[in-house]
Order: sequence, then C-alpha cells, then structure tokens
Amino acid sequence: MIAAFLQRFGIGGETPAARTSPATPPQEFDAVLLWSGLGLLMFGLVMVYSASIAMAEGSRFTGYQANYFLIRHSLFLAIGLVCGAAAFQIPLRIWQQIAPYLFILGVFLLVLVIMPMIGRSVNGAQRWLPLGPINLQPSELMKLFAVLYAADYTNRKLADMGSFKKGFGPMAMVMLLVGFLLLKEPDFGAFVVIVSIAIGILFLGGINVRVFGTLVLVLLIGFVILIWTSPYRRERIFGFMDPWQDAFGKGYQLSHALIAFGRGEWLGVGLGASVEKLFYLPEAHTDFLLAVIAEELGFVGVCVVVLLFALLIQRCFAIGKTALGLGRIYSALVAQGIGIWIGVQSFINMGVNMGLLPTKGLTLPLMSFGGSGIVANCIALAILLRVDWENRQLMRGNRA
Amino acid sequence: MKFSKSPVLKDELAPWRARLVLVLLLGCMAALIGRSLYLQAFNNEFLISKGESRYERTLEVPATRGRIMDRNGDVMAISTPVKSVWAIPEDARLQPAETRKLAQLLDMDVRELNRKLAEDKGFVFVKRQIPPELAERVMAMKLPGIHLQNEYRRYYPAGEVPAHVLGFTGVNDAGQEGIELAFNQQLAGQAGSRRVIKDRRGNIVEDVEHIKKPVEGKDVLLSLDAKIQYLAYSSLRKAVTDHRAKAGAAVVLDAKTGEILALANLPTYNPNNRTHLAGGQLRNRVFTDTFEPGSTMKPFTAALALEKGKVRFDTQIQTAPGKLSIGPATISDAHPHGVLTVAQVIQKSSNIGSAKMALSMEAADMWQMFDALGFGTPLKLGFPGEASGRLRPAKTWKPIEQATMSYGHGMSVTLIQLAHAYMVFAREGDLVPLLLTRANGPVSSDKNVFSAQTAREVRAMLEMAVLPGGTAPQAQIPGYRVGGKTGTAHKIEGGVYAKKYIASFVGFAPVSDPRLIVAVMIDEPSAGKYYGGQVAGPVFAQVMAGALRTLGVPHDAPLKPVQLGAEDQQVRESM
Repeated sequence: MIAAFLQRFGIGGETPAARTSPATPPQEFDAVLLWSGLGLLMFGLVMVYSASIAMAEGSRFTGYQANYFLIRHSLFLAIGLVCGAAAFQIPLRIWQQIAPYLFILGVFLLVLVIMPMIGRSVNGAQRWLPLGPINLQPSELMKLFAVLYAADYTNRKLADMGSFKKGFGPMAMVMLLVGFLLLKEPDFGAFVVIVSIAIGILFLGGINVRVFGTLVLVLLIGFVILIWTSPYRRERIFGFMDPWQDAFGKGYQLSHALIAFGRGEWLGVGLGASVEKLFYLPEAHTDFLLAVIAEELGFVGVCVVVLLFALLIQRCFAIGKTALGLGRIYSALVAQGIGIWIGVQSFINMGVNMGLLPTKGLTLPLMSFGGSGIVANCIALAILLRVDWENRQLMRGNRA
Repeated sequence: MKFSKSPVLKDELAPWRARLVLVLLLGCMAALIGRSLYLQAFNNEFLISKGESRYERTLEVPATRGRIMDRNGDVMAISTPVKSVWAIPEDARLQPAETRKLAQLLDMDVRELNRKLAEDKGFVFVKRQIPPELAERVMAMKLPGIHLQNEYRRYYPAGEVPAHVLGFTGVNDAGQEGIELAFNQQLAGQAGSRRVIKDRRGNIVEDVEHIKKPVEGKDVLLSLDAKIQYLAYSSLRKAVTDHRAKAGAAVVLDAKTGEILALANLPTYNPNNRTHLAGGQLRNRVFTDTFEPGSTMKPFTAALALEKGKVRFDTQIQTAPGKLSIGPATISDAHPHGVLTVAQVIQKSSNIGSAKMALSMEAADMWQMFDALGFGTPLKLGFPGEASGRLRPAKTWKPIEQATMSYGHGMSVTLIQLAHAYMVFAREGDLVPLLLTRANGPVSSDKNVFSAQTAREVRAMLEMAVLPGGTAPQAQIPGYRVGGKTGTAHKIEGGVYAKKYIASFVGFAPVSDPRLIVAVMIDEPSAGKYYGGQVAGPVFAQVMAGALRTLGVPHDAPLKPVQLGAEDQQVRESM
C-alpha cells in the first residue's frame, strides 16, 4: 500500500513488475518538479519563521507575537495548496479560453489598486487591495495572468510572429498599459518580471530576431530613461554600485545583506542564529530572505536554494518540450512561461541579495512571506503539473 | 526565405529558442552560485569585519567602587546596585492607562513621562537609580520599549552628618567632592571590558569575549571616628540653632597623630538626596571659609615673645588706660586692665598687652612664625577649594598692622589651619601634618616651631583662660584640665568691619598630656550673644568631653561641677 503510494509520488523504488511490463502507465506526476516546488515552499516556511521571529516579537504591529508571520505564512501556504489543487483540476484548454478574461481582470485590479481611496499604501508604494483581514496584491496575480495571456496571444498569432505590426505591436500596446499601471504604484520589480514574461514568451513563439533585437534595444533605452527620471529608482541603483560608499544611508540594506552572506561562510552560523535579522536587515522575511538563509545555513544553504530553482526551471522547459512534441503549443508556452517567470524573479531577487543587481522590491518566489505571491506561485506549480499530467495522459493514448 | 516564414512554425516552435532561454536562465543561476561563493568563501573576512564594526561593542564592566569606612570600620559610604529605567521612545507607545500606572510607580508626573517618551531619540532615561524591587514591578508591567540598566548608587548611611568630609559621586560614579574626590583613584578601581554582539535595539545577544577583568576599587579607612563626628555635628547644630547663626564649623584633631577625628559643617545637606541643593550647603567651611581669627592668635604672639626672650611667663606689661596710640591709629581693650603679666594678657585677652609684645619683635620673625604654623598656605589635603588664608609679606607691614596682627586682625585663616596651628601647644612645640586616613600610631615630627618649654608655658596660660577669671569658663569640662582661647571678630563686609561677628574657640585637653584639639567657629550668631566664650565655648566643652570619653582618655582632674564664676566677674575679651 505505502510503497504504491510512494511510487505514485515518485519516491519509492519501482516494483519489479513496473520494470518488466511495458504496459505499466508512466508516473502521473513529474516527481522532480513536485518535490523541488514543495521543497522550496517548506524551506521557505522555515526560513520565514526564522527570519521574522525577532522582528515579530519586538514589534507593536504584530502584537509582540513571535509566531505572527509563521501563522500567516502557514495559512497562505494552506490557501495556496487548496487553490493549487483546484487549479490542477482545470484543463489547459479551459485556461486558454479564460486567459484573456483573467488578464482583463488583472488589469482591472491594477487600476483599482492605484485608486487613492481603495489601494493600501505601505512605505510609499500603493500595492495592496484590502479584502477584509487579507490584503490582495494584484501585481502578483498579474504575473500568472501575464503568462496565461501571453501564451494564448502567441499561440493565436503564431503566423504573424514575423511581423512587427501584427505580431509584436498589439502585445506592446498591452504591455505599455500594464507597465504604466505597475509603475504608478510603483512596483518596478513586478514590471520587470511581467515584461520579461511577455517578451520571453513572444521570443519562444518565434518573434522575428530583428524585431526582437530592436525591442530589447528600445526596452534598454526605456529602462535607462525610467531610472534617470526618478530619483527614487536612481538612488536604488547607486546604492547597489557601492554599498560601502554610503553604508548607513542608501547602501544600508544591501551592506547588511552582504554582511549576512559573509558571516555565513560555508556552513552558516546555524539555523536561528542570524544576527542580521535582529533588526539590522530590513525586510529579512520578504525581499531579503536569502540573506538570512546565507547567514544561517551558509554557502551550502544558498546552493540548495539555487539548485532547487534551477531544477524547477529545467522541469518547466522539459515539460514544455514534451508538450510541444505532442503539438500542444499553448501548454508548452505556459510551462516555459512559468519557467521564465520563476527564473527571472528568483534570479533578480537573489541577485539583489548578493549585490549583483540594483535593489528592487521583489520577493523570492515560493519562499518569501507574502500571501498573494505564495498563492499565485502555488497555482502556477499546479498548472505546470497539469500540463505534465495531460502530457502523460496523451502519451498513454487518452484524451487530455 | 525568412526563417520566421517557415511553414514548420505554423505548428511547431523552433526548439533552439527554448534551449537558449533555458541556458540563459541556468547561466544566471550559475552566476548566483559563483557570486555566493565569492561572498561567502573569499570576501567573507572583509564582510565579517564590517559586521563586527556594526554590532560588536566593547562594553565597560564597571568596577565596584570601594567603601569608605571610619577608623573603627563602620561603613560611611557604600555602592549599592540599583536600576535605571530607560526607553526607546519609538517602541514605547503606551496606552494612557499604562502611562499613568508607570508614572505612579516611578513617582513621576504623567506629563513629564509623556514628554520623555515623545523625544526623537533612540534612547532616553526615564528614571535613574531606582531600587531593584521597584524596577521589578516596572518590568512586571511588560511594557514595550521600556528597559532596565544596572547601575550603582552611592549610599551614605550617616547622611548629612559627615557629608562634607565624604563628599559624593556623580551619576557616572566619579567622585565630585570630599574624600570621594580626594581618594577617587583608589576608590574607583579600574573598569574592565568585554566584547558583545548587540542587536540593533541595543540588547546584548551574545558574549564574545572578556577583554579585561575589572579591578575592584579599594576601601578607604578614614581617620574619622563616626561617634565623635556625630557628637561634633549635633553639638554644632544645637549651637547654630540656639544662636540663630548663619553657619558653623567644628573640627576635632588627634594631637598625637595629626588625624582628623571629626569635621562638621553647617548648613549641610543629605548626600543621599541631592535635589534642591544650594551652594552654601555644599561648602566645606572648615577648609574653604577664611575669617579674621581675632584673639585666638594671641597665644602665638606670647609664645614668640617667650621664645625670643623678650618676656617671661610673669613679665609685667602695663595695659592701662586701655588705649594705645600707634601713629594715627588707636587700639583699645574692652575693659581697661592695668598691669598684667604675660599669662594674664592671654587669660584676659588684652589687645594692648599683645600689641606691646608684638612691637618688641621683628615683623620678619612674626611672619616666619605664622608661616611655620601653616597660615597663608593651603593644607593640600586633597579637598577641593582649600583656602590659603591671607598673610601679607612682613616687608609690607606697618607698625599698626604688626600690632593688630598680634591679636588676629589684618590676616585671615581657615578653621582647619587654626586647629592645626594649636597643635604646637598641644604637643611639645612641634607640628605634624594632618591625616584623613587612619594612622598606625603616634607620629613624631622634627618640625619645631617653639621649644617644649615655651609650649608648656603657653599651655599653662591657655588653661588659665578657661578658668573662672578667664574669657571662656564655659569651655571647662568636669574631670579634665582644659586649655584654650576664645576669638571674637567683626566680619569684614565690603572692606569695612560690620556689626556681624564670628565667634570661635580653639582648645585642647587634657592639659597634662594633650590628646585632642577641638576648634569651633560660629558664623554670625544673632540671638544676642556673640562672644567666643559664650557661643563657641560650650560647643567645645560638649565635643571635647564626649570625645575624650569615647576614646577612654584618663581623667587628670577631680570629677566635680565646673565653676563658671559670677556673671559680672566674667571677662569679656577684647576685639
């Protein structure tokens, strides 16, 4: 019984029968994907607790409860897993059908969040919609909707991908609108991720190389202009160049993140023993969770996180490739789009933590504290598993 | 044919694109591993040192301040552990009810507490140095942002009685006055240090290492005797109250060793609660206030005249008609006396007799004697603000000044200088330095100001001064032979003599083998009596009698009530 159950999830050894009989159905889940995803979620929960415990205990807004963030993050994970289980039931065919509507819903929520009376503002960024006890962060959902919509768009316009006007133009207009709304909050990090998703999927969809090159150039110039016109963003850029220049001002956060890495060395100072999380490193449980991992678990801990993400990304592209082989272009684009999303966002977050990239407000997918983000990530994982599951069904000759 | 127009793409995506994106993303992940390796394995020492500079702190481990004890080991000053309540105003957002309760516990005004908690600082003291039990009750309220700090508080069990001798320490435990200042180095010890990791709110997270162990402060064993000190203080306070005086001072010396056994000042203060202190309360008048000594100087004049062979004990001096003109100035006695012996000049305190002896001597000789007695230079015992008194160089003296200085006018002294100088009569004409700490036994000296013979003769004259027929019969003590001299001087205000007085008395006992010297000074007695014999004499008698009893000094006279003599028979001293 147990062996069969474990085997179902890809852990148990194969039974002799499975090896000898070619008629045995393939496993129904991509075990590597499932376990690397769940691994990151669980690892994240532990580290969110560790990173937040001192801050939660010493802050008024948490009511001085040490497990304030642990309880909330666990709750978000539970909600995320339930949403994921529900999302898994939905065939990709349906996702494709509702993708444009979801995208419009996302745009609507982004408009809503920047309304002065509706959106909730924290630290000068208006990113949250208060929904009773929970705050919804539309930009997190928008990342998922962008994947679903861009894949649908590309799938519909495959033939036009060579044309700038027909293939790229409409998508560019849509992205301009979404970008405008995101920068209005402002949420520069989400903007970068969503634009990366859209461009990535268009690229996968076969957009003309020359068009793509021009596009990249235009975006680069656009980024530079955006950075130069806003002192807020410019400061963040310069803080990253040399955090020791103004270590107690602009470089404060990054310098503390780097110190956390340095203190961690090979094996870390031990789980729970971080000093940086004791009010020195701001956002230790959200944007700078990796720094706490680096301090407490060392280079080894960082490697585990990076490798889990690398595995996850590799599975996304592998599942996409299988789907493509089965002629399921939409599913393939969705799977690889999710790979781009997770890959770009985790790279930016970790790069920021290590001082490779300018500081911007992006969480570590699947790990950082944040309800909307965790739920969106869980749904994305479920959709990936669904794509994989449908692939396996088709390979067995069943209808997806 | 363009690649993008390839019919293959109608159904299929070019696999190289996905591969390229995947490789790019995995490349990024590899870059992260590389960067992490650099930070954690190669740049780690730099980063760790940066971290240390931010949250490692070297903390001082305070040394416990030594105790101050009297000569018998009774504790006079001790450091007790107390707590100070401090707050991080940003965190300390209290409910109004909490604030009220805290203010009530700390005995503070609610508004003052609110003002402190509203300060734009990372650290404010709410209340310093509260008893540990109270601190526990504050902590039991579990208020956010309210913290405790260990401190020591200096406690003086005898309160205001020896306040001026002991002095006190500041909040940072450094001596500010008195013995606490003079012996600060010995008492303070040396603070040690340890290295700790602190979180950003200042809480110690971890002990890194002990760098230096603290060296505890050493105890100081004073020459003071707590019982005699209390006696001196209470007798002085009674006199100051009874005579409605502005201030008073008294000092008790051991003539054999030079130890200061008691030193009292009024007004005084409670060193355990120094709020609302006025400058006058803090003054250690024994050391800092100078006054014209008046008649207490006469015995020195007589001693010098004896020493120089100008007169003998019984040489007769004409003091009639009670007035003497020197140049344009005239000096006078309170009563005209007629012919007096040298001994009677001292006994009756005749200005004219003193002046005549003085004028028979060289000014330089007188100056030399005053200087040898310690007048005009501070004692340098380590007390802050020790005054030197005024003694002008002999060359500048005019004859009238030489005459008035012989009876203590035209110069000024502190009470401790006066008491110290009387040591030449209490000993065999020699002086030993004064001591604040306990001596191991009698001290000998080769600093002879007068010969033993002169000292003995003056002792006899001073004994006559307190017997009936002298100026201070009130200074007598049953059971002991006493010698001493009164002094009554006008105060100088704005360069002229005012109708305000300083009454003093300096004396020693027992005359057969003097053990103690007591000097008393009462500033501005204003209840009618102002002569040294009436005002300072009784204080002397009380303190001397009590001190001799305390020390168990054997009697040298029969135990019978003292004879004051008839009121009209009493001699008023001259001023």
